[in-house]
Amino acid sequence: MTPASASQPTAGALARVVRAGAALRVPALFLLPAALVVALFFVTPAVVTLYLSMTDLSARTLSQPGFVGLANYEYVLTSRWSPMILANTVRYVGLTLLFNVGMGLLLAIAISFVPERIGNGVRLLWLLPRITSPVVYVVVWQAIMARSPFGLVSELTGTSQNWINAFPWHAVIFANGLIGASFGMLIFTAAIRSIPTDLFHASAVDGATTWQTVRRIVLPLLRWPIMFVTAYQTLSLLASFEYILLLTNGGPGFYTTEVWSLWAYKEAFQSYVGNVEFGLGAAMAAFLVVTGIVASLIYLRVFRFNELLVTPKIEVN
Amino acid sequence: MLQALRPKLRALLLVTLASATAFALAQRVITLEAWTIGPDEPAIHRAENLEAAVDLFNEALAAEGADYRVAIDTDFETVSWDDYRRRLLLAFAAGSAPDIIQSSHLDISTWSDAGYLLPLDEYLDQYDAFGDVVGSLWDFVTYKGAIYGIPNTPEARPFYYNTTLLGELGWSAAEIEELPGRIERGEFTWSDVIEVSKAAVEAGVIEPGHGYWHRPVNGPDFYHTYFAFGGRLQDAETGQLVFTQDAALGQFALYRDLIDEGVMLGELLGTSWDEWHRNWVDGRVLFNSAGTWSWAQWAVQYGPGWDFVWDNYFFALQPAAEPGGTPTTLSQPQAYMVWSGTDHADLAVRLLSFVLTPELDVRAMESGHLPTLATTRSLPAFQENEFLSQVVYMLDYTTSQPVHEGFGRYADIFFRSISAVQGGQLTPEEAVEITADELRRALGDQVIIE
Repeated sequence: MTPASASQPTAGALARVVRAGAALRVPALFLLPAALVVALFFVTPAVVTLYLSMTDLSARTLSQPGFVGLANYEYVLTSRWSPMILANTVRYVGLTLLFNVGMGLLLAIAISFVPERIGNGVRLLWLLPRITSPVVYVVVWQAIMARSPFGLVSELTGTSQNWINAFPWHAVIFANGLIGASFGMLIFTAAIRSIPTDLFHASAVDGATTWQTVRRIVLPLLRWPIMFVTAYQTLSLLASFEYILLLTNGGPGFYTTEVWSLWAYKEAFQSYVGNVEFGLGAAMAAFLVVTGIVASLIYLRVFRFNELLVTPKIEVN
Repeated sequence: MLQALRPKLRALLLVTLASATAFALAQRVITLEAWTIGPDEPAIHRAENLEAAVDLFNEALAAEGADYRVAIDTDFETVSWDDYRRRLLLAFAAGSAPDIIQSSHLDISTWSDAGYLLPLDEYLDQYDAFGDVVGSLWDFVTYKGAIYGIPNTPEARPFYYNTTLLGELGWSAAEIEELPGRIERGEFTWSDVIEVSKAAVEAGVIEPGHGYWHRPVNGPDFYHTYFAFGGRLQDAETGQLVFTQDAALGQFALYRDLIDEGVMLGELLGTSWDEWHRNWVDGRVLFNSAGTWSWAQWAVQYGPGWDFVWDNYFFALQPAAEPGGTPTTLSQPQAYMVWSGTDHADLAVRLLSFVLTPELDVRAMESGHLPTLATTRSLPAFQENEFLSQVVYMLDYTTSQPVHEGFGRYADIFFRSISAVQGGQLTPEEAVEITADELRRALGDQVIIE
């Protein structure tokens, strides 16, 4: 083999790499803005959080934080309250998610099967809590649920009690769910409206009942939006605590409705005499980041995400 | 002609320039910045007194022939202590904090450890006004041997009772009037609070759970009860925090008893402040623990006026735990602090000396607070104030929370246990054991468990 012929395959491989690179250039260019946004708003905060979680950063050490390794993680993991708060978090995310997605789906289906004007009116009404400031929304709840003679429910039932304190989990899930369901409702309604009407006509011709139409046509075609709403809401709920903070502040009593993100917030930003522990709060937040990633991977598996991305065998123009 | 005028023009120019410079120097104004906070709007004197002190300061500067004057930008916050502290922390870290900061004396530990506060010891001898501060108040602002704040607007935290409801229960006017004295002598204790409340519930004077209400959120009031049971928060010799298990057990058991006997709501913690005050002002609650400033709140903010509070309520020390025991109250004074990064430390401290004039200090009464200066307490304006002149004796029984770097953690753990006992999740014994464990875990050698 001459030197020239020996270099032939190498040159060919190089040319292929160059061609492949050229082919990737355009897609890479399109991906760049999204990649930058992800790097800036997800990767960077996650890395910073991980770094902070290994320091003793607090109000006291703000100018000179010291490196403490995994001490903050150890502190969290050896806390006797971690299992309790974790269980609260699972309960909160699970039940609220069920309410959010289930109610969103029900509303979307109901709205899609009534005249459009009425449907739009209902959608608008259901969106009101979402466009109301959380503080105002919770103040309304407190006013409704207060003891007699201040609370509406106490007055109507004749039982004077603080209903939020008496049923804290119901209050937390219902107050969150009323708002969360509107998100699913919007997505699902749009998805139902995008289903080709031929399918509904065909099912009608075949004599399908409304339930059969929903079960056999609507729900299978909503798999993607359901996956999206479920995954999105899970991550949102894991990180959200504002309504719990305002409604019960993790109580009543002892960590009754305290969830992980609220716990982290309190450690990082609330203190009786101002010494907030940013490092410890970051370690707690890091648990949430990992939990969110694991939950996302599980959802991708459960909803068979890869199959959803398969190129259709026929293309309809 | 022009040649001849040139020296005159030059002289004129020089005179003009000199006059302008002198004028500019005379007008040199140094502006200080101060952030203040109050529990509510009546405490705005914490900011306004600084503004008034500027006038006094400038008068003194004029008399001294100084070539500068002082001005001040004040900011007054009433919304949230957490937000206020967060804002300050960011300002400290960014190197743009105000020259003067007013906040709780408890904040001194964190902020001075972080190097944000100026030790004031070397300045205090320079101004006579500081010598008139009620002596014990300096203890509140001393941390690790140095003074980091000028005390301001101390208070007491009385035990209030509804005189109208006691009358309905059959107490005579004389018995009602004697109650503060009986509490002071240790003759009316927490057990009596339970017994009287039970009787009021049984007689239908109040609803169950409305006998006694403490504050509905974490705060200093829980410690005057802890002190009543013999608790200690800090060791005077070592400076370490202290957790007295027997005292905590007594206090936790008291809360359990109050709830089990049907005289305090099990879900009291978590009630909104608004609902808490309204129940009191509507005459639904027999006893409560609150602050001296609450008297003004009930008269002005929640009730129809001063006659209303005098007609329906009165006040005493917090009861003792046992007959013959010592009653308590607690003070958490505010402090004016000086940022260590200020370019005008001398001016800031001198300005604070002008805040400590009796005429300004007496304004503390407007928000139900007590004066800082001994002289102010002898002023007719103070002595004629029916309420404050009658609560000032409580300072003889006052207690305080420690200015200690670990006290924030301590207070959170302590309060969590109170929540657990009141919520029925832990027995008092379990709560004491868990509190001790948690304090050891969080604070290590910083806390003594006794």
